[in-house]
Order: sequence, then structure tokens, then C-alpha cells
Amino acid sequence: MTDDLEQLYQSTYTAVVRFLYRKVWDAERAEDLAQEVFVRALSHRPEKPRAWVFAVAANLARDEARAAMRRKRHLTLLKGDPIAQPTIGPAADDTVEHDEQMASVQDALNTLTPRDREILLLWDAGLSYPEIAAQTGLAVGAVGTTLARARRRLVDAHDRQQSRTGTDAAHS
Amino acid sequence: MRHIPEDELHAYLDQGLNRTQCVEIESHLADCPSCRAMRDGIAALRDRTTALLARLAPPRSLPPTFEALRKRAAEVASERRRRLHALAWAASLVAAVGLGWTASSLTRPNEALQSPAPAVAAGAASDGTMRRPDAGQPLQVAAAPSPGRDAPAVARSGGQPSRTAGLVARPPDSARAASRDAALSVLNPTPALELTRLERPSGHGDLELGGMWRTMSWDGAKAEAGERLPHIDGLPVVQVQVQSGEQSSRPVMVVAQQLASGQVIRTIEGPATDVSQLLSRRAISDVDSLFLPGDSAGLGRDASHAMAMQLGDRMLAITGDLPSDSLRAMIRRLNAEMRGK
Repeated sequence: MTDDLEQLYQSTYTAVVRFLYRKVWDAERAEDLAQEVFVRALSHRPEKPRAWVFAVAANLARDEARAAMRRKRHLTLLKGDPIAQPTIGPAADDTVEHDEQMASVQDALNTLTPRDREILLLWDAGLSYPEIAAQTGLAVGAVGTTLARARRRLVDAHDRQQSRTGTDAAHS
Repeated sequence: MRHIPEDELHAYLDQGLNRTQCVEIESHLADCPSCRAMRDGIAALRDRTTALLARLAPPRSLPPTFEALRKRAAEVASERRRRLHALAWAASLVAAVGLGWTASSLTRPNEALQSPAPAVAAGAASDGTMRRPDAGQPLQVAAAPSPGRDAPAVARSGGQPSRTAGLVARPPDSARAASRDAALSVLNPTPALELTRLERPSGHGDLELGGMWRTMSWDGAKAEAGERLPHIDGLPVVQVQVQSGEQSSRPVMVVAQQLASGQVIRTIEGPATDVSQLLSRRAISDVDSLFLPGDSAGLGRDASHAMAMQLGDRMLAITGDLPSDSLRAMIRRLNAEMRGK
């Protein structure tokens, strides 16, 4: 059981950090949350650990987002809660070019509906159709439809942006 | 011949289809150049999406070893056990003191009014945390009026509270009864009125919130606080603590309740400044340490979470070793319940 979790940790830790990073936009915070996810997995011993790990990661990221909203509404969060000091904004210490490239993708991603975005990120994190369906409440048959739309929109939005700014970043 | 819909090709490339579906699609693709072209287009779209998303990656860093995480998980678990243990200890102490009080009131009804037993018993038991008042400064212990029962207003001045007085005052068989009934009393708060003095181990002199905390019966507290007594309906109450504000007249109420899982949550209601100070200074942990002398240092930073909600000049808070989602759901429910009253 522990070996399973350890294997999962080795194989998905980076994907979990990336998944969280794309939600909280803070590398350190994403790592903290990812570690929290695996610490919880160790005490919960979930039956389907891979799906569980991403479900908990999604919840933690949602908490962060809600906390940010709540702070705006002057409701107070206090002590001990990991939500207390998130920093929201792009990661520092990167090259300007990398930052720009990232920002353009980030903008494109933000044009997607929350659900399309979530499903795209879950797919990119390596979850299977049934796992994505279970986590989002979507029918398995609808995952393909959603991904088709999300991919199209992401690429379209990015292309539109590039042609607008004229600074065409090399497509890889 | 039916062409393959776009989303099915996505699912096909994503390996999201079952075997039969795959065979169907493959046999169609073999005969249909337009669907093959579409498949290639979708494959390219997939690749571009993946490439774009790959830019949204944090700088690489070395993950902690799994062993380190395992250690942390073990720490979290033992912390949870310790808190549970602390609670059981605290509850049995409260029960013991309460029963001792009741027993001594029954056996010596005439002396009940003067008996300082509960306060002293509490003092004796939590000796590490509580300080005896300066010899020259009498410990003023004034019981709050507790409607519905013969409020035993105990005022003890000067004197030398013997550390064993409570135990001596309690007949030995009632002590046994106390431990026997302790578990039961966790669910049924004893009608005891107990006075405790809480001081922070650091001994700072400037802490209003380190002052007097009264552990009250549910009924007593309810009579005093009215509908303001914060709690979640349907959960057993294990402890009620009240602190009268020194500057404001409205008290801070702390109600500890036990979840089915055994974990304890505390709901707190009081003036916003007092409650936020209480939370930020983790005086909650100190309330624990009242019953666990010298053990408050073990409380990890993340061991306990708190969530607070400010409503005008009042603040409602909830603390417990629970995921923040659960705490959030609880404080919403709590808020709704308090408003409904």
C-alpha cells in the first residue's frame, strides 16, 4: 500500500505541482500544496490514489481562490490556515521572454470556461477519461467533446493574441 | 458511410474509447481519407495544446523525499492522537471535579457554600501552567450567577490554597466513581461550576485574554449567553468556557464539541477584537494546556486550523484539526444557525 503511494508520488508529484501551479500561479505555494496533498494521502490511504490526489489538489486550489475572494469581501481568515498568505501573481525570477510566453498562454487559458479549463488541465496532468469523468461529474462520453472544444479554444485564443500583438512566439 | 465526429477522434487519440469503438474507428479510417485528414489535424491540435500548456510550468525544483512526507504524516497523526488524549484527560478532569463538587455538596450541604474545592482541585491538577497568585495578592474567584441552581458564590481571599485540598475534600469512593463516569460525562456535561485561572506560561502581564476563564455547564452558559452561545446543533458538547471581557461587558464564549470521528471543534463567539486576539495568539492551545501542564509546546503550527467570520463588531470563529473546507462549511452553518435565532 505504502509502496503504491510512494510510486505514485515519484510518478505524479511533478504533475500535481504543475496542476496546482496553473491554478494558484505561485510555484512555492503549488509545491506546499502538493506536499500537503501527499501527506493527506498517507493518512487517508485512498482506494484510487491517483484520482484522489488530483481531486484533493483541485479542492485545495479552490480553497485558495475562494480565500482570495473572501479577503476582498473583508471576511477574515486567521492563523494556521494555509490560505492565510497566498501570493497571487506570476512567478518571479524568470526570463522576460519566458514570462511573456507564459502570460500569453495564461491569458488564452483564461478565455476558457472554468469547466473546460479544469478538464483540459486534468487531462494534461495525465488523468484518464473515466478519472476525469468521476472527478468532474461529467459523463465519460462528454469528456471528449469538452476536450475537443477546450483545445480548439485555447489554440484559437492564443493565435488571435499572437496576431494581435504581432510578436509571434515560435510555435513548437 | 457515417464520418467520425470530431469529439470521437479526440477520444480515440486520447485512448478514451473502449476496444470495440477503437476497432470501428480504425476500420473506418482505413477507408476514409477525409477522416484520416481530420484525425491528423486533431493530432496536431493536441500536440499544440500540450506544447502551449507546457509553458505553464513552474521552475523545476527538487521534491522532498517520500520519507520526509511519511514523517510529516506520522507527526500529524500523533498530534491528532495527542489532542484527542488531551481532550479525554480534560473531560475526565472536569467530570472528576464536577462529581467531587456534587458529592461534597451532598454530603456536607452546610459547607458547600464555603467550599473552595473545585477551584483548588483544578489548581492542583494543572499545576504546571497555572500560577499561584502572589502571596500578598488574594485570588478573587467570583462565580458568575448561575440561574437555575443555588449559585455558590465562592469568594476566597488570602489564605493558602492547599494543592491537595480538592482531593482531600473528595471522598475516595467518589473519586473512583468519577473516573468510572468520566466517559459518560464527556457526553453529558456535569452541572459543575468550575473556576479556573489561566495564565500564559510566559507570564506576560499585559494579557487581558490570559485572565479568567470559567468552565461552565451548558445550561449555565446558556442562561448567561442566551442565544449567543455558539454551537453546532446535534454535536455533543464537551466543554463550555467563558471569559468576561474586562473592557467590554460582553463575554467571549468558547464551546468545544466532539465530532463523530472523535475530533474536537471549538466554536467561539465574542467581540471581534477579543476573538481575533485569542485566535492570533493561539490562546486556544493554552486553554488545552490548562489541562495538560507544560505540553503546549508540542502544538504544531498547522495542527489546528481556524476560520473566523466577522459580523459587525462581533466575531464568530471555529477551530479544529480539520480540512479548511470542512471548517468553512461548519462556520457557514453556524452563522446561519446564529442568525436564525
